[in-house]
Parts: sequence; structure tokens; C-alpha cells
Amino acid sequence: MLRLGLRLTLRSGREALVRLGITAAAVAVGVALLLGVLAEFHAFQANASQACWSCTTGAPVPSPLPSRGELWNDSVDFYQGQTITRLDVASLEPSAPVPPGVMRLPAPGDYYASPALAALLKTVPADELGDRFPGHLAGTIGDAALNGAKDLVIYIGYTPAVLNAVPGTQWVTSISTAPPQEVFTPFFRYAFGVGVLAVLFPMLVLISTATRLAADRREERFAALRLVGGTPGDIRVIASVESVVSAFCGAVLGVVIFLLVRPALAGAALIGTQYFESQLTPTVWGYLAMLVGVPVVAAVAALISLRRVQVSPLGVSRRATPKPPTLWRLGPLVLGLGLYVYGLSKTTHKSIGAPAYPGLLITMVGLVIAGPWLTSVAARQFGRLATGSSGLLSTRRLADNPKTAFRSVTGLVLAVFLGTMVGTLVPAVNATEATPTAGALSNVLLESGLGFSPHAGAKLLSGLKAKGADVYPIYASLVTGPTSGSGAGPGGGPGGKGPGGGGALQVGPSVMTCSALRGLAVLGRCAPGLQAVEVTDNSLYGDNPIYNTAPIASASSAAYTGDLAKLSLITVLVRVDSPATLERVRTYLAVNAPPQESGGQGSAPTPPRTFGETLQIRIARAAAFEKLVYAAVALTLIVAGCSLAVAVGGGLVDRKRPFTLLRVSGTPVGVLSRVVLMEAAVPLGAATVVAAGIAYGMSMWAFVRLAPAGTAMPQLGSDYYALMGIGLAVAFGVITVTLPLLRRMTNPGNVRFE
Amino acid sequence: MNSPVVTRAHLVEARDVVKSFGQTLALRGASVAVSPGEILAVMGPSGSGKSTLLHCLAGIFEPDRGEVWFDGQRLNTLGEAERTKLRRTAFGFVFQFGQLVPELTAADNVALPLLLNRVRRRAAYKTAEAWLDRLGIGDKGANRTGELSGGEAQRVAVARALALAPKVIFADEPTGSLDSLAGEKVMDLLTGLAREAGATVLLVTHDARVAAYADRVVMVRDGLVSGDLGAVGEQVSAAKAVR
Repeated sequence: MLRLGLRLTLRSGREALVRLGITAAAVAVGVALLLGVLAEFHAFQANASQACWSCTTGAPVPSPLPSRGELWNDSVDFYQGQTITRLDVASLEPSAPVPPGVMRLPAPGDYYASPALAALLKTVPADELGDRFPGHLAGTIGDAALNGAKDLVIYIGYTPAVLNAVPGTQWVTSISTAPPQEVFTPFFRYAFGVGVLAVLFPMLVLISTATRLAADRREERFAALRLVGGTPGDIRVIASVESVVSAFCGAVLGVVIFLLVRPALAGAALIGTQYFESQLTPTVWGYLAMLVGVPVVAAVAALISLRRVQVSPLGVSRRATPKPPTLWRLGPLVLGLGLYVYGLSKTTHKSIGAPAYPGLLITMVGLVIAGPWLTSVAARQFGRLATGSSGLLSTRRLADNPKTAFRSVTGLVLAVFLGTMVGTLVPAVNATEATPTAGALSNVLLESGLGFSPHAGAKLLSGLKAKGADVYPIYASLVTGPTSGSGAGPGGGPGGKGPGGGGALQVGPSVMTCSALRGLAVLGRCAPGLQAVEVTDNSLYGDNPIYNTAPIASASSAAYTGDLAKLSLITVLVRVDSPATLERVRTYLAVNAPPQESGGQGSAPTPPRTFGETLQIRIARAAAFEKLVYAAVALTLIVAGCSLAVAVGGGLVDRKRPFTLLRVSGTPVGVLSRVVLMEAAVPLGAATVVAAGIAYGMSMWAFVRLAPAGTAMPQLGSDYYALMGIGLAVAFGVITVTLPLLRRMTNPGNVRFE
Repeated sequence: MNSPVVTRAHLVEARDVVKSFGQTLALRGASVAVSPGEILAVMGPSGSGKSTLLHCLAGIFEPDRGEVWFDGQRLNTLGEAERTKLRRTAFGFVFQFGQLVPELTAADNVALPLLLNRVRRRAAYKTAEAWLDRLGIGDKGANRTGELSGGEAQRVAVARALALAPKVIFADEPTGSLDSLAGEKVMDLLTGLAREAGATVLLVTHDARVAAYADRVVMVRDGLVSGDLGAVGEQVSAAKAVR
């Protein structure tokens, strides 16, 4: 029987091969997508459990210098929106611990760079990047220290004496091998789980649809087998063999497709990190699960579909005639919405009411349950409006079996629901991170904690102006306190951050000239006639742009009447007009005013960055989440589109006979094409409108309950419309691909059916 | 109720068979008996119940009431597995259409019941080719049934029915989809080879010319079997005379 099953699957002519090909292709798409998700998850897991050398914490440097371990100063820098991880290090002994990715510590005057940074250093002018790193490139850092091929990392070697003079330097005797304590790791792990489920559900629908492809034709064959004495067991074996063979071919093809697109996937940075291709791989178990699990699932789906029918020698009869869907099908949807609204009524600005979560889930399940009812209602309404023969044919079939009609669009409807919720909420969350005025400072770089003497400050400002930037200084009176270090910094700049740096204390108000304020109007203005005013600049130094752009001066600000030339430079805001200027300014500051203070024990000091970059960092997590969910929605749309195409193709094969007879009796092929399109469009249109409407309403209600008062209502953005539009267009595009098959299959020359 | 005494002179017998489909009563106490080697034609107008009777006699339908006997076994008390085995070993079928597996070649279709019956592959195909030769379509063995003419496809069905050396061949409108010339050829082959093999044939038809091939003709009217052929009898006699 196995042999006969294989014979029927593989050597039964063109129609059987087409069926096998469509099924395998559909399964392949699903398998490739699932492998992609598993690979991303594996890479994410591998990354999250990688040894975090930059998490190393040391001790204050003893005096005199010890003879073991090394001096260690790690920090971060920025270039064109990318973070550069920098380690300044000086060996105290020949066997000092070595960070991953290199064989030995860089010698004084040498540095090792990651391949991506080494490439940048070769191509970018030195005054925009290379001048920040003293010394010469002596080698590249290996993959063990990196998260991905695009990581920018540098290890710079110093003599102990020079590095010891740099603020923030610590004494390290062992390098951390523990994974990083990422707060968001569990969140991303959960998101991946949801993503896998989001893809898995429509993929199961796809496999199930694909294995039931042309079920009516297949059932005719089974009836013929039963007539000549095939037992129900024989039929089950043959059906399983057919499904397993096509699913296995699809799984193998899916693995091949995945391996082909893996390099592109590795470079895509789907969740914000570009992984190494070697990391971006499902485990052996992942591959095995695909190659074994998918055929098993297909066999189970085939057997379940056989349970629904009675294959007799005279043909196939359904075990139960489907009853028309009733209004009761709306029950779960209404229940879910009620729970959700109730949950949100218990929501505060700090936490979401617990019933909202099951409410959301039940709403999604409710949509699936309500779909056939919606389809039958839409079919009836459409039938009243449609006057042509195609309308009559399609609505009659939809009304007769709305369950089958809706099943083929279930995945698309869920994707639209999910996409609408994300498309409304994520931009809204991002919007709360920024204000419209944040854009006004996006190209303004903040360098704070300078403490430069009037002379050194003036020199720094003139140097910055020479780089082509506009400068807006803030001054204050300083008194010298206990110092924590002195001498030349690693960049060879003026001592620390100039005279008065390090332990200097501010004794008077911060002061800004009115001409400088006029250049940054968003920060406030002076009363007419004044030269300089006292400003309240604390809000400038928070990392949230909402606070950064709060005015620091107003018409009522006190005039400063002292001598500006005697004040120290404590902060400078620098407006740049191009990315190149920004990097030249940053390089100049890295050399002439390197970070003075460590961010705390084991924390890197904050390098100068623009308000735009600050905003970018703050919303990076939300953006990564948005990307992840949009990717899941896109995958769901693709898989659901495939399901729709497979269902439509299968339906065509099943109805070859009536469609051919219609053509023979004079029905134009255009009418039949419209029938096929309408059968997909009516349930999809009705359910999509309802799903999108409900999702939008639920999102808005959540927004009203959660957003701070006065926040503008969010609008669906262009990303949403693009994703949904392209997704639905592709789905229908795939259907139109099946239309030539309809023309060929129903050729009146094929009127004989055996 | 007394157990009926089945005479072994009858290979297939239906007694007072009642069969309904929902509200529609198709057979209302039909009785008929067929002797070994006999060719019996069952005639009747559309909807009279003749196909239903044939399907009950073949064990495809279970009667609601009454008895169906085959070769001393009460067919309608056998389980599905046993009836399936009978179809595989003792019965052959020739229907108007829908009986061949379109994805298989003519030789595959003829070999199929043999393969299902655990006959070795080589032997099954040898038998199939021999039967196709006898039916005059030996050169069509490698063709899929969709590539054959209607007459050729029916000859494949006849070859398949005979390949297992069945005791009974059930034929339901075997020439219904053929022109008269092709129909005659199929009937010549079916009845000739069945007689040669000693097989019993139950033939359902509405065509007097086809019924003329039978040894005996019965009429089904309103779900009951009658020996009175009425006007049809004259047509059958005339057709027999022509043959």
C-alpha cells in the first residue's frame, strides 16, 4: 500500500505533480519562515548568553601600581548613530587577563579593532573618527567579542602610567565571563515565543490547507479504490503517504530556501542586532523538527480531514452537513470585547487591568468563530447588490458553505487585527517619548561637565567653530575642590577637562548669553535689552528629550550683570549641519575634552551625543519591538496569503468539472475568474473591515486609558498602510496567478473527465 | 422469524429488500435471485430503484430490511471489512463512469485489485496485460485513463472486473456513456468473457439492446421486482433477434 501511495503521489501525471508542487511550495514557504524565526531566536539566545567582557568590574587603582592584572577603562562612543564599544587597557604583567577575541592585550600605542570598525577607520577621514583613537591598528578583534559582523569595538593599549591618569580607570585582575544582565532579555524571549506562535498558527492552517488540496478529486480516487476492495485502512495509508511525501518535499525545500536567504537575513538586523551568519541557525533539533514534525503534522491533518468524510465505494459523503452559522457565533467576540473593556476600566497609568489580557485573546478567537457568520451575512448582502452571473455563482457558494470560505482567509484576518493594534499602539508609545519640539534640537550635540577655565573654554569654542559648527556655551563660576586625577588624557588633550575640571564645584548660577539663546529659541528667550541671563539648566541633562527641550530661560529670567570673561565653560551645545561635521566635532571633543567622569562603578562614561541620538537610543527598544511585531505580522500575512492561494488553487481543481461545464455552456472565462476572486474577496473584505475596526477601537481605548492626559490621539501611520496594503495586494496577486490555471483547466477541450 | 433456506442454485439473492434514503423509499420489498453463470438484466425507468438494488446485492448499500445472500453467506450481516474483502476477491464492477483511478495507467487500474489482494506485483501486471490484450487494448496499457476514449475506458473497466476471476460482475449502465457501436463492443466483450469465465453478471440498464445480451430480464418498478416486462419485453426480444 505504501508503494501504491508513493505511485499515486509521484507518478500520477501532471495534475498530481502540480498538486504535489503546490503543496510542497506552500509548506516550503511556511517551513522557511519558521526556520527564520527559530534562527533569529537561536542567535538572540546565543547572544544573550555570550560572555559579557564589558560587564567586568574592577577596583580603584592602588598606589603604587600593583604588579599583576591590568588597568581597565571601558567606555562607549558614537559614530553615525552606531555605538562604538571602547576599551582602554594597560597590562601590569605579561600574563594579564585578555578580553575575548584577541590573543594578547594591545601594546602601548597599538589598538585592535573589530573588522567593521577597522573598515570604517580605513574609509572615513581621520578627523571624523580615527583621531579619537591614539595609536596604530595592530590587528582585528575576533567574533568571540562581538555580537555581530557590524559591531564596532576597539581595544586600545596604553602604558600604565598614562592610563592611570584617565578618570574612570580601574584595576582588573579577572575579566567577566558571565552573560549580560539584560533587563529586556525575558521580554524579547517572550516576544519571540509569541512570534513563533503567531507564525506557527497560520502555518498549521497552511499545511492543513495544502494537504487537503483538491480534496474532492482525491476523494473520488479514494472512492474508486474502495470500489475495487480497498479498505478504509488502505485509504488512510495512501492519504498519509501523499501528505507525508508532499510535506517532506516542502520541508526539504523550505530548509534549502532558508539556507539560501540566511546571509540576507543575517544582514537584515530584524530586531536591531545584526548577527553572525554562523549564529543565525536553528539548532539541529530545529531542522529535525521541521523535517520530521512537519510531515507528521501533515499526516495528522490528512487523517483528521478523512475523519470528516465517509469514503464509500460509490463516492464520498460528508459525515455532517454544515448548518448555517447563527448569531450565536458573535458570542465569544462580544465576551472578549467586554472582558477587554472591563480590564481597561481597572487600568491605571501604572498597570493594565488583568482581565484585559484574556479579553484580547478571546477577542481574537472570537473573530475566528464569528468569521463564518460574517461571511454568510456579507454574502447575502453582496448577493442582493450583485447583478451579474459571477455575483450569483460566488454568493451562492459562499452562503452554502461560509465556514470553508472563511477558513481560507482566517490567517489574513488575524494578521490584519494584530497589525492594526500594533500600528496604532507602537507609534503612540513612541510619540510619548518625544515632543514636537524635540526635532528642534535633533542636530544639537550636548557636551556637559566641562569645567574649563575661561581661557581653555575660549580655546575649545574656537576649535569647535573651526570645525564648521555653531556653538552655544553655558558658563558658571567654579571653585577648585579636591581633584580626582590630573594630567593628559588618553587623547592627549588638556588636563582632564581643563583647569578646574575633576573636583571643581559650581558656586553660582549657570549663565547663557542672549545671542546664544536666540540661536536655540526652543530653550527660551531673554527679556529685551539684556546681554546674558541666569538659566535653569538642570533639565538639559536628563536623557528624555521631553525634559531636554523644556525652556531653561524666559523673559522673567534674571539678568546676569557680571563679567562673562571670568566665568568657566561648563557646558557647550553644538549645532551641526551634517553627519560629517557631527563626527568631526565629536572627534575634536574626544581628543580635547574626553569624558571626565565614569558613569559609576563598572559603567561607561557618557560620550557627547546629539539630542536626536538620545531620542534614538531611548526609542530603540520600542522600535525593535515594533520591527519584531511588524516582521511577525508580515510573516503572518505571507503565510496566510499562501494559505489563501493554496485554498483557491485547490478549489479550482475540485471544481474542474462544474467550471468546465459552465464554460462549455457558454460562460466566459472572465466570469469564472470573477467568481474565484469574489469568493476570496467577500469574506476577506467583510472580516478585515470588522477586524481592523475592532482592533483600532481597542487600541484607541487602551490609549485613552494609558496615555498621559492631553496626549494627541494616535493615527495609523504610513508603515501600517504600506504593510497591510502590500500584504493584501500580494495575497490577491497570488490568487490572480491561479487564474491562468483556471483558463487552462476549464478548456472546453477537456470536457471528458476521465 | 425462521431463517431462510438458501438454495445453492442461487449465487446471489435478495429477499424482500427495503431501502430508503431519507424520506424517499427506493426499494419496498424487492426480491430477485441469480443463478451461477447466469446473466441477468435489471431494467426499469429512471428512479425505479434498479441501481439501488444492484448496490444492495453487491454489499455497497445495507438494506433497511430484508436479506441479501451471496454464495451461502448472508451479506447484510457481514461487517464492512468482510464486505470489502468480497469486493476485492469475488466481485467485479463495471459502472457508467467514476470507477477508474484517473491518475493511474490502464495497466495500473487493472492490476490494482490484484495488488490489493496481495498478488505479487509482476504477476499482477502480467495478468493485467493479458486481460488488456484480450479486450483489444493491449497497446493502451501505459496510457492514463484520461487519455483513452470512452469505449476504451469501459474496456479497461471490464478487464479490471474480470482480472480477479470474480464470481459476480455487477454492471450498472456499462454502456450509458458510449455510442451504440462502442456499447455493442463493450457488451460483446463483457458477456462473452464472463460466460467463458463462468462468471455471473448482474446488469442494470434501461436499454433494451443491452438487456438483449442477458439470459433473463427482470423489471423494477416503484421499488419492486417484476418478471412482467410489458412492452420492454418485446423490444428485448426484437433486439435479441437482431443479434
